[in-house]
Amino acid sequence: MTKRLAILALVGLVLVTTAAPAVNNQAQCNANHRSCREYTLNLDEPWYKVAVMLTACDIAFGKCIMGI
Amino acid sequence: MSWLRWRRKAKAGVRAAVLVLLLGTVAVTGILAGTVPAGGLSLLAFLPDLPAVPRLRIVEIARPADRPDDAILGRPVAMAFDGARLLVADALDCAVKIFSQDGRYLGSFGGKGQGPGELSFPSGVCVDGDVIAVADKLNLRIQLFDRQGRSRGGFVLPFTPDRVFALSAGRFLVTSNPTGRRSVESLLHIYGPAGRPIWDGLEARRSSDAVTDAFLNMILVCPGQADDFYVLFRSGDRRIFHYSASGSLRSPMAVDERLASTPVVMPVGRGGIRLSGFCWAAAFDRGLLYLSPPRLLAGKDLGPGRSVAILDANGRMRAEIDLPCAVHRFLVAAGRVFAIDEDEELRIFEVAR
Repeated sequence: MTKRLAILALVGLVLVTTAAPAVNNQAQCNANHRSCREYTLNLDEPWYKVAVMLTACDIAFGKCIMGI
Repeated sequence: MSWLRWRRKAKAGVRAAVLVLLLGTVAVTGILAGTVPAGGLSLLAFLPDLPAVPRLRIVEIARPADRPDDAILGRPVAMAFDGARLLVADALDCAVKIFSQDGRYLGSFGGKGQGPGELSFPSGVCVDGDVIAVADKLNLRIQLFDRQGRSRGGFVLPFTPDRVFALSAGRFLVTSNPTGRRSVESLLHIYGPAGRPIWDGLEARRSSDAVTDAFLNMILVCPGQADDFYVLFRSGDRRIFHYSASGSLRSPMAVDERLASTPVVMPVGRGGIRLSGFCWAAAFDRGLLYLSPPRLLAGKDLGPGRSVAILDANGRMRAEIDLPCAVHRFLVAAGRVFAIDEDEELRIFEVAR
């Protein structure tokens, strides 16, 4: 239950607090997504956390591409 | 159907029936005797137990207590040994930090930036004679330094590098994580002097889910003894892939059954991600492979392990070391185990004699 809440909070944080880009630049979105994934993979944290963070990277990428 | 063909088929049928009857009898006898689980018949149940592996006792080498602030590791992601000193790539501080064999802090080089000698998320480090190569991840390049940490050039890459390993004759093996944006991606790349691409290999594994792919393609690379290198997948595949310096694959080596994999289903995505954790960290030293299996956390997650299995060149387990702490990554050199624990601290161990 606590873990589920933590995931919801993390996903919410990604969706709500990240600033929407004024100009939707795909190259910038790609670069941010790449950095996010590489950073996560190098965290070397337990795999559940890595899976959640990679999912958050993908959500942020989708959000960036759509400009929301 | 001719009579001869009918007779041959009948014989095969009788043979199959006898085999089924025999196996059934063995299974029922086993279940009644309590040696075989009623849920299924496993051939392993009839094999003798594998001999126990000797456990080595280790002692920790105390590090100097009066450490400067610069010696604190932010995010140590890779280590290398230059014969006398330990080099640690610190991705958070964008620097390579240098320690003596006893853990004394000797200095650092790098610093955040994009210019020559500056780094942005250094994720790999290796030593080739008098040259130190650093995988400068977010600057998409390999940077070269001398032993004093002075910049000696480098080369730009068409992908984001992860780790870097020195091969002979000025060649470097560079690993990468798949981006998931291209249909075919290689995880291994060999570059010659001045950054000339020589070889790409080990195609990334693909599924329908990008997060699962990230786990399926988590690899560990250990440089071997004679310019060769070993590649292991952290989950799913229990084989060790042995490559020559030119990138040709020698026959994959199956790992001793005594080194168990840990299955886990992570409740992420539709239906969860099913993984079989095999190895969290690995190292190679003097003909022996050192593998640290992952540890099951809270029954459904995998994290860094507290033991190291020692395997010979045939994948057979020769000994096991119990560590006093879980280790994220480690390196074996000069008869010592240099490890990074869960608090990002450098720990140094030696086998007790």
